[in-house]
Amino acid sequence: MGLPRRIDICTGIALCAALLAARGAETQDTMLLRDLTSVLALLGLPCGQVVSATHVKGDDHVATCQNGDRYRVFIDAKGRVVAQKLES
Amino acid sequence: MAPSGSPGGHTARPGVSTPPSPGKPAVGPPSAVPSAAASPPLDLESLEVQLRETKAISTFTKLTLKNQIDDLLERLRAFYQGQLKTSLAELRRSFDLLVMKVLALLQDTDPPLAGALASSRESIWSVLSDPAKLDKF
Repeated sequence: MGLPRRIDICTGIALCAALLAARGAETQDTMLLRDLTSVLALLGLPCGQVVSATHVKGDDHVATCQNGDRYRVFIDAKGRVVAQKLES
Repeated sequence: MAPSGSPGGHTARPGVSTPPSPGKPAVGPPSAVPSAAASPPLDLESLEVQLRETKAISTFTKLTLKNQIDDLLERLRAFYQGQLKTSLAELRRSFDLLVMKVLALLQDTDPPLAGALASSRESIWSVLSDPAKLDKF
């Protein structure tokens, strides 16, 4: 096995690993968006789908909705999930 | 009434949307849970465990549902203790709405559990609507 072939294999493995990692992160992001979408729907807040989310700290996120509304979604000291509408 | 979350925030209370007619058991949409008939009813403890363990509902959503279930239990207890002016029919509507919310979350991603929940609805209500049984829960 020559050096170029070995490099090809290594490049292939690295590429696969990078793709898998990217896909894993994407799945996690998608799950978070779906989770926040469900939470806002359960809380009866107008949103439609959450299209993006920013992690603030711990269990604290800012969700941006399809309709442009933004909510801070977090767990309060009593263990309740709270959504606070943020002013645009 | 249950304590609310942070001031200015929204923590849902069951029973805010249009409910089915009072006094009658609510029936979900016919297509909502196709496997309901095939699923045996579950007792409350098994249902709680399965809901906690299902991967069909994510963390925040599970916690939100738990908050709403706790709120309903608290309202039922307050009602039986004479501290809450409402009717059992109104509380039943809140219960039905909550069940529908859970079914909506489960029906596509965990149909067996959705079916079991749909089959268990009446037996769960029979516990909740009996103060003595609720006390033991």
